Amino acid sequence: MPLLYPLVLAAALFGIGVYGVLARRNAVLMLLGVELMLNAVNLNLVAFDAWHGDELHTGQVLTLFTIALAAAEIGLGLAIILTLFRAVRTIDVDKVGAE
Amino acid sequence: MKPFGRFPSSRGSAARTSRWVYVAVTAVLAVVVAIWAIPDLGGGYFGYAAAAPGSTPPMPDLSPDLFLFPVSAQIVLLTVGVGLLVQIYSTAYLGHHPRYRSYALIIILFLVAMIAVVGTTNLWVLLVGWEVMGLCSYLLIGHEWETAEARAGAAKAFLMTRIADLGLVIAILVIGQAYGTYDLLGAELAASDGGPRSSTAIGLLVLVAVVGKSAQFPLHTWLPDAMPGPTPITALIHAATMVAAGVYLAARMLPFYRESEVVLVALAVIAGITMLMGALFALVQADLKRALAWSTVSQLALMFSAIAAGDPGAGTDHLLAHGVFKALLFLGCGCIMHAVGSSALSAMGGLRKAMPVTFVSMTIGFGALAGLVPTVGFFTKDSVLAALEHAAQGDAELPAAVGQVLFYTALATTFVTAAYAARLWLTTFFGPDSSSPVEHVEAEAPRAMLLPVVVLAVATFALSVGQPVHLGFGLLSTAVAVFAGGVVVYAWRNRGELDIDAPRLSRELDLDEPYSRWIPAITRSASRLVVAVDRDGVDAYPAGGAAGAQLGSRLLGVLQSRNVQRYATVMAVGVIAIVAAGVIWT
Repeated sequence: MPLLYPLVLAAALFGIGVYGVLARRNAVLMLLGVELMLNAVNLNLVAFDAWHGDELHTGQVLTLFTIALAAAEIGLGLAIILTLFRAVRTIDVDKVGAE
Repeated sequence: MKPFGRFPSSRGSAARTSRWVYVAVTAVLAVVVAIWAIPDLGGGYFGYAAAAPGSTPPMPDLSPDLFLFPVSAQIVLLTVGVGLLVQIYSTAYLGHHPRYRSYALIIILFLVAMIAVVGTTNLWVLLVGWEVMGLCSYLLIGHEWETAEARAGAAKAFLMTRIADLGLVIAILVIGQAYGTYDLLGAELAASDGGPRSSTAIGLLVLVAVVGKSAQFPLHTWLPDAMPGPTPITALIHAATMVAAGVYLAARMLPFYRESEVVLVALAVIAGITMLMGALFALVQADLKRALAWSTVSQLALMFSAIAAGDPGAGTDHLLAHGVFKALLFLGCGCIMHAVGSSALSAMGGLRKAMPVTFVSMTIGFGALAGLVPTVGFFTKDSVLAALEHAAQGDAELPAAVGQVLFYTALATTFVTAAYAARLWLTTFFGPDSSSPVEHVEAEAPRAMLLPVVVLAVATFALSVGQPVHLGFGLLSTAVAVFAGGVVVYAWRNRGELDIDAPRLSRELDLDEPYSRWIPAITRSASRLVVAVDRDGVDAYPAGGAAGAQLGSRLLGVLQSRNVQRYATVMAVGVIAIVAAGVIWT
């Protein structure tokens, strides 16, 4: 499999993730955008690891780290959003900033 | 007279004794000066030099370097003499004034300044005295500063003389550069040994200074406008100080510029214009004091004409004579004003019976002004005429043609002078008794005012002793004066009044316009221009900078939307742009 396919897919995922973070007003969906970007990076790491043929598979190891980090990040982010919602009864970031 | 400033003294005799303190101080000054000056009266010039002239001028210093020439000695004696008489006169004339003390002290300062000008050979000390005199005359003319005219007259005198004083400052610097010394004697020695240097420059600068100080054309308008000052001050300024300093300086500096034909011709032209103009203005005045002021302008021009003709001795002799009889006339005028309450000629008439002493004294004064024998004015005026005739023959540095014109101008001036003297004398002391408003005049002035007048009247005769007699000119000028007086008397007999209807002359040929109207107008419009440039031109830069900063901050404020997503968008776009640029250009 040529390297191009996973890279194009990763770029598309990253672009969707950036769009989600920048354009969405819903805090949960912004968090989702962040996850998409992280996973696009994961895909890149795995693709380059396979392409590079590294014996130690450092790319895949780093991907595992990133997944763990993403899990922690999404847990923390959702907790913040929950607290935010409890405090101001909305998760629309524009409305939160306006108050 | 004046609505303000005439408060009756509540202190009585205490105030009177304190008034005489100033007289005593002036008297001490006069005695000291007399002891100092009298031995120099007959002395000669023995080539004494305080400092040998070097090649570069030394640093200006203010050591007094007192040294008197016979002429200087005469002038300082005149100064302190008239000053003392004015001080005595003022005790009665202005004694009740609330600001009498400052007035009397400024008179003393005035006299000291004049002595400094005349008695020093250090040019910087001379300059200091010269400037202090300008200040004193400003303060004294503006003594009644409650009135607007006094303020205006004082400011005008100050500004005009001050502008002219610049000429003296530069002249001193030029003398220092040319002769390597600021000592008058040293410079004169150098001028007589090695020939004059920079004579045209020095002469013209000195001319500027004396034209301002002595109120000559075209800077003549301050002197008549100085009339709101108290009359004794007018006498002091016109006779002993201030204007006399101008004549003294012109005579004193003559060795520096007598080689320069340009300067002599300029001086002669100025003197010629001024003497006739001043006399004509004096002829048409409706105010006694102002007429006497114009008379001073004219007489000073006569002295300058003698200096231009190369005979400074005749000029300074006439200065002394004029100092005495003009002080007499002004102080007499003060007596009349004291009695009548006004200086307008229309308020006078028939005063000879009410004020016999003033009448006789002022008759002598007017006689001296007209140049009648045996007053001192006769002798000194003839000396001036002789000097001018000398120049007209081509025996002086002045071109003969100029000398001739000047001689005939002086003769015409003699005619007009006698005419206005006769006119003033007749309108003041004669005329109808019945219709005159003098009925309620409180007779003669107090004794403290009459004494100086009488002393001066005696001096007008006494100074004649030893004056050179020029028989031919004496007969000529007497004939001219008598003829002029006769014309006036004849007109007076026929018409019964002597008002001269010459509106343009009465407005003094509008020669004051440049000073009273044009220069203020030019200054005002120039100031407006400066304001406009400042507001619309210079201020545009800070205002534009401020507006630019405001606009910029408003634009930057748009970016700072408090919206984190927008910030992030900008950052993302920036990163993409930088990466794209990096990719494209590498």
